Amino acid sequence: MTEQIIINSLVTASLYLLAATGLTLTFGLSKFPNFAYAEFVTLGAFLGLFVLRNPDGNILFALPIAFVGVGLISVLSYSLVFKNLVARSTNLIYLMISSIALGYVIRHGIAEIWGWRTQSYQQVWTIYRFGDLRITTLWILMIAAALLTGIVLHLFLTRSRLGKAIRAIANNPDLASITGINKQKIIILTWFFGAGLAGMAGVFRAAATRVVPMLGWDILLPMFAVTILGGIGNFYGLILASLILGFAENFGVVYLLRAGLSTEYRMAIAFLILIILLIFRPKGLAGGK
Amino acid sequence: MDPLVFILDALVFVGVFMLLALSLNLEFGYTGLGNFGKVAFFMVGAYIYAIAIQFGLPFYLSLVLCALVASILGALVSLPALRLREDYLAITTIAFGEIVRIIFKAEQSIAGGVWGISIPSIFRDLNLSIRMSVVANLLLVYFVVIVVFIVLQLLTNSPYGRVLRAIREDDEAVSVLGKNVIYYKVQVFMIGSAVAGLSGGLYAQYLRFIEPNMFLPLVTFFVWIMLILGGSGNNKGALVGALLVEFISRGSRILKDYVALPVDAHNVQYIMFGVLIILIIMYRPDGLVREKPLKADWIERKITHGNS
Repeated sequence: MTEQIIINSLVTASLYLLAATGLTLTFGLSKFPNFAYAEFVTLGAFLGLFVLRNPDGNILFALPIAFVGVGLISVLSYSLVFKNLVARSTNLIYLMISSIALGYVIRHGIAEIWGWRTQSYQQVWTIYRFGDLRITTLWILMIAAALLTGIVLHLFLTRSRLGKAIRAIANNPDLASITGINKQKIIILTWFFGAGLAGMAGVFRAAATRVVPMLGWDILLPMFAVTILGGIGNFYGLILASLILGFAENFGVVYLLRAGLSTEYRMAIAFLILIILLIFRPKGLAGGK
Repeated sequence: MDPLVFILDALVFVGVFMLLALSLNLEFGYTGLGNFGKVAFFMVGAYIYAIAIQFGLPFYLSLVLCALVASILGALVSLPALRLREDYLAITTIAFGEIVRIIFKAEQSIAGGVWGISIPSIFRDLNLSIRMSVVANLLLVYFVVIVVFIVLQLLTNSPYGRVLRAIREDDEAVSVLGKNVIYYKVQVFMIGSAVAGLSGGLYAQYLRFIEPNMFLPLVTFFVWIMLILGGSGNNKGALVGALLVEFISRGSRILKDYVALPVDAHNVQYIMFGVLIILIIMYRPDGLVREKPLKADWIERKITHGNS
C-alpha cells in the first residue's frame, strides 16, 4: 500500500515538474507569472488527441508534436503580446491579466476546434505487477520523461554557455546584457522549451485521465504552488517542490479518506501549502526569509 | 420569452456586476491591489444570504450579514496576503477563491454541496407576475448600486481617497509620510469585500438558486474585463464596463440560441474578450472612461505662478 502511494507520488511529481519547468523559468526571466501555462498544458493534451486519433498514432509521436506545437504558440504569444508589454514596463497586474486573457483565447479556441465534450485517448497501458504494486507503461514513461528533463536541464544550465546565460539573466539582467548576452534570443528559447515541456505534460495528464478544455486549469494552482515552493526561476528548487507536493497530495488523500473528508480536498492540499508558504517563506524553500 | 423581461433581467445582472466592478475598482483602480479572488467574496455573500434566509432572518438583515461576513473574511485574507508582492497576492487570492468553492462543493451539510441550494424569494408573498417580480428585483438591486456608488464617490474623493491613490502610485512614499499603509490596504480590502458580499446576496436573492459551479474563477476575470474596458480608477468607468460586458455577453447568448452560426458564439465571445483585453492593455490602458487628474488646475496654476 505504502509502496503504491510512493509510486503514485512520483508520477504526480513528474507531471508537476514537466508542467511547471517553463512556468518557473519564464517567471524568472520575464518577471511575471504566465497564467496561460494552464492552456499550454491543455493545448498539448489536444495536440496529443489529434495525433492519437490517427490509426497508427502513438504516444511517442504525440509527445514531440505537442512539444513543438505548444512551443511555437508560446513563442508567438511572446513576440506578439508579451515582448511589447514587458518592453513598455507594463504594470505587473496588467501583465498577469493579459496572460489570463491569452489563456481564455487559447482555451476557447481549443473548445471551438475540438468541442467541450469529454474525450479520451483510448489507449491501453500494459500493467506490470510486483506483488501488490501496480505500474503502467504510462507511469514509467512519465517518470522517465521527468528524469530525462532533470538531467538534460541540469547539464544545459551548468555546462552550456546558453544555460549559464539563462541563469545570469534571471539573476541580474542589467549585468548580463552588459557582458554581451543576447537577452531576446535566450528569452525566446526559454519560452519555446518551457512551453514545450508543458505541452508534453498535457499529453501525459490527458493519457492518465481524460481530455477536456479545463484540463490545464485544473492543475494550474499546483503548478504555481511548486513554482513558488521551489523559488521562482529555480529549477532545482522546482524538482524538490514537485516531489514534496506529489507526496503531500497522495499521502494527503489517504488521510482525507481516513478522516472521512471528501477527496475533493485533494486540490486544497496544494492551495493550502501554497498559501501557508507564501505567508511564511515567500522566497521559497531555498530562498532566505 | 417576453423581450421586456429579457432586458430587465439583463439589467438586474448588470446591477449585480456593477457592484463587483465598483468593489474591484476601489481595490485595484484606486489602491492598486490586484485581487484575483473577487469571486470568493461574491460566493460567500451568496451562500451567507441563502443560509441566513433559511434560518428565517429578514432579508435586509441577511444582506447586512453578507456584507459583514465577507468583509471579515476580507480582513482575514488581506492581513497576511498584503505583505506579499503583487504577483504572490494574485496567486494567493485565486487559490483562496478555489478553496472556498471546494469547501462549499464538498460539504453537503453547509448548503447542499454540488446539488446547490434553493432560496425563497422575498417577494413571494406579493404574488407578483414574472414581469413585476423582475422589476421589484431591479429596484432593490439599483437601490443598493446607487447607495454604494454614492458612498464610494464620497470616499474616493475625500482625503482618504487621495491617500489610496498615493498608495497606488508609491506606497513607500506614503509610509514615509507617516501613514500606515497596511492599515489602509486592509480597510480597502474589507470595504471591497463587503460590497462584493452584498452583490452576492442580491445575486442569490434574484436567482433563488445557487450552486458551487456558478462561482468559477471566470467570474473574477469577467469583473476584471469590465473594469479594464470601462476604465479603472474611476467609478463611472466601472459602471460603464459592467453594462457593456454584460450586454455583449447576453448578445452572444442570443446569437447562439436563435441564429445558426458556423461557430459557437459562446467560444467566440471569450476569444473576443481575451483579444479585446490584450488590445486595451497594449493600446489604451486607461479604458473608455479615463481617470480624472486630481485638482490639476490648481496645482498647475501654483507651479506656473511660482516659476514666473
